[in-house]
Amino acid sequence: MRQIPIGARLLADNEAAAARIRRTFRLGGTLVTNLISSPGSGKTSLLEATVKEMGQGHRIGSLVGDIATERDALRLRRLGIPARQILTGGACHLDARLVGKALADGGFEDLDFLFIENVGNLICPTAFDLGEDFKVALLSVTEGDDKPFKYPGIFSRAAVTVITKSDLLPHVSFDLEAVRGQAASLNPSGRLVLTSVKTGEGIAEWCRLLRGSLAAKNAARAEVSHETRGIP
Amino acid sequence: MHEMSLAAEIHRMSRAVADRNGTGRIEAVKVAIGELSAVEPDLLAYAWEALTAGGTDAGSRLEIEWHAARQTCPRCREIRERAPGSWLRLCPDCGAPLHVQGGTELDLLEVVLGDSEGAGGPDR
Repeated sequence: MRQIPIGARLLADNEAAAARIRRTFRLGGTLVTNLISSPGSGKTSLLEATVKEMGQGHRIGSLVGDIATERDALRLRRLGIPARQILTGGACHLDARLVGKALADGGFEDLDFLFIENVGNLICPTAFDLGEDFKVALLSVTEGDDKPFKYPGIFSRAAVTVITKSDLLPHVSFDLEAVRGQAASLNPSGRLVLTSVKTGEGIAEWCRLLRGSLAAKNAARAEVSHETRGIP
Repeated sequence: MHEMSLAAEIHRMSRAVADRNGTGRIEAVKVAIGELSAVEPDLLAYAWEALTAGGTDAGSRLEIEWHAARQTCPRCREIRERAPGSWLRLCPDCGAPLHVQGGTELDLLEVVLGDSEGAGGPDR
């Protein structure tokens, strides 16, 4: 019997694939977000509202992960944006290799925003870096106000928490301030936006946040390339 | 159940080690799993068993080294005890969000290989 010490990250392959994606989109100046939520909390609806809000002035694309059906990609393509379905065939999450493969077929270069809609699941997708700039957690008001503490993995890693279906607030007991407090204690620097695609509440704020993040990313990139040029 | 994907990754990595070392069978694999890595150890062990069943490495052990996260209060400067799994909350004394260290481990630590088939004994 021989013991061979290794000491390697289990997700080293995924991390390498994520790093390649991150590098590609840093050079291209695309803001990449990874949308994670339970099924039915409104990821695709939020994307539809986002495209309607700022699709005129911005190039938007989307990759959508699901176990089965092309429905989400069809919904988004109907709005005139490139959208590709990634069918995981039963797997409960996307990984960076699947995303890399979907991107390799082309059509997602020269974008301002790439939204990766993960498989509906609050747990498994949390563990896999897809090369995104940041994760976005969605929580609909019908899911209950105890969810951040019940699913701390995602709510501590998400830079932005989007509360969806705010139009239903009068009909459900959902303590928004409690959710705000939980989210803030899990991720003190995180942002929270209250939205409804029915009333349009918060959609402009969400889009402003995205445009601000894109501008910050491009400013950082310009600074780096400026420094690089300074080296003889 | 992403534990199945992880088990497949552990097997792929440890098989590569075994192949490089020219031996037939993996006896055991040791991994480090952190409390905050979103991995359920029991499910991972079950996934390993299911994945290796019927193959060269059937019956091999997956040893899981569990790493708890540590919560410190930034205001009281004290480490806060808690029940397992109830991580990342507020300080019971002052209400400040607790600072979390460690618990994100997800590493392949060691592969134990069985005796090589036909490679000869120590007197070779």
